[in-house]
Amino acid sequence: MTTIRELLRRLRYLVRRERYLAELEEEMRLHTALRAEAMQAAGMSAEQSRLEARRRFGRATNVAEASRDMWGLGTLDQLAQDVRFAIRRLRARPGFSAPVIAVLALGIGATTAVFSAVDAAMLRSLPFPREHELVSLKNVQVPFGPESNERSEGRLLDLADVSEMTNVFSGAAAYASGGLNLSDPDRPLRVKAGVVSATFFPTLGVTPLTGRTFTLEEGRPNGPLAVILSNALWQRQYGGSPMLGKAISLHGRQYTVVGVMQRGFDFPNESDLWIPMSVPTTFATFEPFRGFLPSHVIARVRPDVSNEAAAAQLLLRWHQVVEPARSEQRDNLNEFIDEARKTGFAVPLHRELLGDRRQALLVLLGTTALLMMIACANVANLLLSDAAVRRREIAVREVLGATRPRIVRQLLAESVLLAVAGGVVGMLVAPAALRIVRAMMPAGLAGIAPAQLDLRVLTFGAALAIATSVVFGLWPAIGATRGDASQSIKSGGGHGATAGLGPVRRALVVAELGLTVMLLIAAGLMARSFERLIAENTGLNPEQVATLETSFPRSTPDVERRRIIDGVLDRLSGQPGIVAAGAVNDLPLRGGGGISVTIDVPGAPALHRGEYRMARFLFASGGYFDALGIARLRGRTFTASDATGPPVAIISSAMAAKYWPGTNPLGRYFTLRGDTSHITIIGVVADVREAGLDRDPEPQMYRPIDVGPLNAAIVVRGSLPPSALTARLTEAMRATAPGQPVYNVRTMDQVIGASVLPRRTNTMLIALFAGLALVLSTLGVYAVVAYAVAQRTRELGIRAALGATARDLLALVSREMVIVIALGIAIGLGGAWALSRVLTSLLYSVDPRDPVTFVTVPLVLMLPAVMATAIPALRAARVDPTQVMRSG
Amino acid sequence: MSEPIPPGTLDMLILQTLARLEELHGFEIADAIQRTSAGVLQVEEGSLYPALQRMLVKGWVSGEWGKTRDNRRARYYRLTATGRKQLVREKESYQRVTFAIAQILQLAPE
Repeated sequence: MTTIRELLRRLRYLVRRERYLAELEEEMRLHTALRAEAMQAAGMSAEQSRLEARRRFGRATNVAEASRDMWGLGTLDQLAQDVRFAIRRLRARPGFSAPVIAVLALGIGATTAVFSAVDAAMLRSLPFPREHELVSLKNVQVPFGPESNERSEGRLLDLADVSEMTNVFSGAAAYASGGLNLSDPDRPLRVKAGVVSATFFPTLGVTPLTGRTFTLEEGRPNGPLAVILSNALWQRQYGGSPMLGKAISLHGRQYTVVGVMQRGFDFPNESDLWIPMSVPTTFATFEPFRGFLPSHVIARVRPDVSNEAAAAQLLLRWHQVVEPARSEQRDNLNEFIDEARKTGFAVPLHRELLGDRRQALLVLLGTTALLMMIACANVANLLLSDAAVRRREIAVREVLGATRPRIVRQLLAESVLLAVAGGVVGMLVAPAALRIVRAMMPAGLAGIAPAQLDLRVLTFGAALAIATSVVFGLWPAIGATRGDASQSIKSGGGHGATAGLGPVRRALVVAELGLTVMLLIAAGLMARSFERLIAENTGLNPEQVATLETSFPRSTPDVERRRIIDGVLDRLSGQPGIVAAGAVNDLPLRGGGGISVTIDVPGAPALHRGEYRMARFLFASGGYFDALGIARLRGRTFTASDATGPPVAIISSAMAAKYWPGTNPLGRYFTLRGDTSHITIIGVVADVREAGLDRDPEPQMYRPIDVGPLNAAIVVRGSLPPSALTARLTEAMRATAPGQPVYNVRTMDQVIGASVLPRRTNTMLIALFAGLALVLSTLGVYAVVAYAVAQRTRELGIRAALGATARDLLALVSREMVIVIALGIAIGLGGAWALSRVLTSLLYSVDPRDPVTFVTVPLVLMLPAVMATAIPALRAARVDPTQVMRSG
Repeated sequence: MSEPIPPGTLDMLILQTLARLEELHGFEIADAIQRTSAGVLQVEEGSLYPALQRMLVKGWVSGEWGKTRDNRRARYYRLTATGRKQLVREKESYQRVTFAIAQILQLAPE
């Protein structure tokens, strides 16, 4: 029955607590005095009556405390008291609190940063309304060619088929991503363009900030040329001035601005602007995009239809298009169906966009979790050793009348306080850690939404801190108060203290070491993979090579494109310090697509159905091979006369070995499927890993870059420093064609570096975590041994006095630890062995159970662990018996 | 032979004592209860002061500092109106319980 008045009384008490306490004390003092007088009057001696009166009062502190408790605002008051006490204690022992806070901050900071990165990429939903309804459809095409309006037999499912399934999908759209030249009076500009069907924006459910999205008319072949700007481009390029209805020039054609999107919308692939994809697509659609456009089809599943039902309906539809097909086509189509069945007919868009990053992110998150566990084990260890040290103090307080729950509460307050401090510092560290993670994480790993520390992430961090403190605070607190207080006091805080907590602490260290071994093995395997990857023979020599890329609109005449490329090459070749210059339509390792073609080799054995002779199809100038350092193995390179003479090609050694095994291919010829002209082989060059360092080179063929290409990379090799080389390159381009935009001006080393960046990032992050883990577990080992030595100083002294040598003492102290370290390593190796499958997809040409790593890691761990044992153990060996006895 | 105060009755005994004797300090309360019960009921100091503090919080009693006969400072407790009502309630419930217990004891075989 708490009334307002009662509450006021309690508050008044809280404010004037000192006075109230003094009054209570005075009252009790008077009582004792009066009682003593009464007893003396009854005939007791003065001394006796005084003692008796005191005894009758019992434990004065208890009475005072119980009386005080009557006033408290419930537990709130006590809590404040406990916290004050805890702060005092923690500040008095910085040697204990600082490491705990530091370790916690490290764990929480790192975990929070990585969590926010993972959160952005995996957990946060796409920025579209009801994004869960959006699916990516596999093996669904956008039909090609204006004349293919009547559907042919044996075709694939296409966008129109899906759009007709209105009972399953409420919308379907296609999109692709490419680059365009945006004309600008000051400087030509390269922009990222989303090429999207007219249904794209409605299907995603996004609306423009101003203007409108594309009309169906604009989505038809030869429809009006319309463009929608991203907010970022609108601000950056046009200063946010009104643009609706104005025309901008893209790849030499005038597009009318019909809309500007909302801020932050840049799907797909950080688009600067969007142009309509005509359905069916035509050559005009492909024009700016290297002759092909990898399009993706997405659809919005009706709210009342499950993804499974949608997939089933799609399969049904597949069979409808397969049935009328001729039998040889049917085989092909069934292959497609099987393929689609494996990948799923309708994959949630979120998951599809995440792609292979999923595994990398999960491993990263797992790694961080391991680090956090090690940090927690470390903190628990420190708290446990602290609790053991304080056993005596706690026992004294217990004897003096503190109740057990009260002591537990006080210890808990301390650990919660530590966790809060660790959490706060961790949160301060997290933004810095996130910056590192973000800087190291290229677009390849980052998510659709940028990684940031928002309320969700902070909540995660706070939850982590609280969970840590409760689990690892409560446990030692309870452990410390268990047992007989008087025993603790009598034994002088010696052996009795260690007996209960020793095994737990050793188990924690074993766990720490085990987890560290696992992390080190993961890091070791990744590092070895990376080492193998960059040691892989690329087939080219990137040293002293600079490159740039450029692309031409189709409206630029053939001869003009050639004139520009030849002009740049000529200009470069004459210069001192330039060794070689060349051009290619698609630079290796730039991360682009590339074209593969089917060829026919006369006299070659017939192939089974479904098998083809394929080759990558590239265009290069005669100087390209020397410029990029691609070894010329046989024959010659292109000369000027090849442009006008009969068709010739240079092939890669893999192509020679595959299609002309055991013979000299020079002088032989092949044809492109669907074409009759004989292409004569004039040279053989080394294989180039163009698709990625981790991809084996496919057969490659080069044709002269005689017909001016739409896209080109200029490659120059010289004796100048790289920066001077790139400067020469851009200068030559500017001098030849002032209005021509260039992009990706890089050294070849940078091109290769960029292609391995995601792997490098992953490797470095995991190595970083493994390093931190190593530091933490070394600290853990040190703390346990140092503590044990401190506890046993007396015993060691006695042993020394009885004749034990320094060596005996050293062995005595470290024997236990040797077992702990060995056990930790064994468990870690076992864990890494068992979990090896998880890493497989992240490794390159290294077995996840690579023996070298499994042998090296224990050795790497052993050194610091042994040192962490030896340093405090040596202190034990130097114990001076006389000193110990005297201080006893 | 003195007996400890039965649990739950200390509040009632203190309130009753104050109702009868108007104004007392802590020692006098303990003393009065012991005397009135002819030495049977002995108030433990360990529970007296927490009980008094609780009653102050609840507002059943008020405390005023004054002087004892031999001029020593002491806090004198008085019953408030709320305390008086509380005393009635406690007495009623105590009598009900005592009566019930007595009935049970009468039925028991000798």
